[in-house]
Amino acid sequence: MEALRIERLSRDFGGVRALHEVSLSVEAGERRAIIGANGAGKSTLIKLINGEIPPTSGTVHILGKDVTRRPVHDRVHLGVGRSCQINSLFLHISVLDNVLLALQATQPFRFKMLRSISKYDRLSANARALLTARGLWEKRAVPVVDLSYGEQRRIEVVLSLASAPKLLLLDEPTAGLSASETSDIIELVRGLGRDISVLFISHDMDVIFSIADRITVLHYGQVIAEGTPEEIRANPKVKQIYLGYKEG
Amino acid sequence: MKLFGRLLHKNPVSFLPYLGVGLVLILLPLFLSPYLLYLAAKILILAIFAMGLNLILGYTGLVSMGHAAFFGTAVYIVAFLTVRYGGANFGVVALLGILAAVLMAALFGLFIVHLSGAYFLLITLGLSQLLFSVVWKWRALTGGDDGLPGIPRPDLGLSLSMGDDTYFYYFVFLIFVGCFFLLYKLTDSPFGHALVGIRENESRMKILGYNPWRYKYVSFIISGAFGGVAGVLYAYMIGVAYPGDIGMMASVMVLFMVILGSPGTLACPLIGATLLTTVEHIISTFTPERWPLILGAAFVLVSMYFRGGIGIYLIRYWRKAELRHGSPEN
Repeated sequence: MEALRIERLSRDFGGVRALHEVSLSVEAGERRAIIGANGAGKSTLIKLINGEIPPTSGTVHILGKDVTRRPVHDRVHLGVGRSCQINSLFLHISVLDNVLLALQATQPFRFKMLRSISKYDRLSANARALLTARGLWEKRAVPVVDLSYGEQRRIEVVLSLASAPKLLLLDEPTAGLSASETSDIIELVRGLGRDISVLFISHDMDVIFSIADRITVLHYGQVIAEGTPEEIRANPKVKQIYLGYKEG
Repeated sequence: MKLFGRLLHKNPVSFLPYLGVGLVLILLPLFLSPYLLYLAAKILILAIFAMGLNLILGYTGLVSMGHAAFFGTAVYIVAFLTVRYGGANFGVVALLGILAAVLMAALFGLFIVHLSGAYFLLITLGLSQLLFSVVWKWRALTGGDDGLPGIPRPDLGLSLSMGDDTYFYYFVFLIFVGCFFLLYKLTDSPFGHALVGIRENESRMKILGYNPWRYKYVSFIISGAFGGVAGVLYAYMIGVAYPGDIGMMASVMVLFMVILGSPGTLACPLIGATLLTTVEHIISTFTPERWPLILGAAFVLVSMYFRGGIGIYLIRYWRKAELRHGSPEN
């Protein structure tokens, strides 16, 4: 089954067309990279998929369901997880509280008012497992604002995984990270089960070629190429306008 | 006992201040004159009012400038029922007063909960002023600026007389403890954590799968309910309903209390209510006409030198003391 299918999706900002009739589909378990120069519409595409902004026209199907008119929080419950290009965390509360918030977001007890959050044992255990796996358990009591950029970036990814998504959207997960931190993120994504489909944006060729099964190239809001990494590497049009090579 | 044990297990020393303050509040009637005890009851009632505002301001992150609307609604409902209709059953009158405050909050909330920041503040102010002018102008119903005097002290059907200030004080104290405990439970729950998440980063909450509107609306109504409880007690204590109870000055006072007391902390409402009420009492004794001037100056000073309110300084001081005495970590 397709994890994601979008058809003729367009989005205008004022008079500017950020995306023009983009269609693509991502198979279940696939790792899809979206590449393109700055302003190609990559982040807009992710926001349209998870519902942060509505499309001007076109449709979005997630796991077979038409979600075009569904609000962002609804789509999370269908299985969409997302990390942000710029860290968007809960800065003045602890690392552990950040993760607990992300974990309980998809639990039915998220509205419970009179039972202490610390009494939900599975929640605490999951939080511990997530933080331990990313080497952040020792920092659990530290307010996020006091962490390094790299650590905050890791939490950004942890939060996107907390809802156990079926479709994970990663917007430049390695932006601003050192080489070793980048390979840590690559390992994390490669280690995910194939029951999770991943759509990610990146500018880093190492990241793209070590994760992606298929690559979609956006150029001024339109899809100009799609294929396996080898096909994209060999595509003359992509070489010319994105990778910056000259023919021959 | 189980809960108490868990609290102790969590961090035994952190709860000592609460127990200490509780003990002092229990023993107060032994030391205070009837008038000062009356003042102490007033502080506890205003602290309950401030708890409600603290929930939405300190936890959800919504700054309301019209919170007296809910407090005042309850005050007037109690006045109507007792003065105009001779309603003597405290349970029924109190319940209707709180219900009216809740309904008012549910109504206001529909218009404003999707707003934030300055817009939220202004519309809460506007709606509460609307309510104020209705109370002010509709003399036949509300008595206008004469108010509705003659609310008797509640009769609980016990052999105790609530007219006695000591009993009334303990009655208020019990309700205060109940409200405090409820607020503690709320803020410790998944719901309470989600409120803090909304305060910190609402758009991320949506991306995580929360519907912030629902949390804001429910917390706003709960906040109104606290205002209602305080309003009922206040009406019975003062014995008269005035338009001032529903007006802007009452809203501003409770906002000052919360800001002074450090929003988002459990200790905030009591600290804020105690500070403002005692200072007001002391200053009014000597120079009543300068009270607003001194209040304004105090507010400016606190904003400049005690960012985040007095409460967090007390908490930090206590934590330092705690560390010196080597409390167990987690």
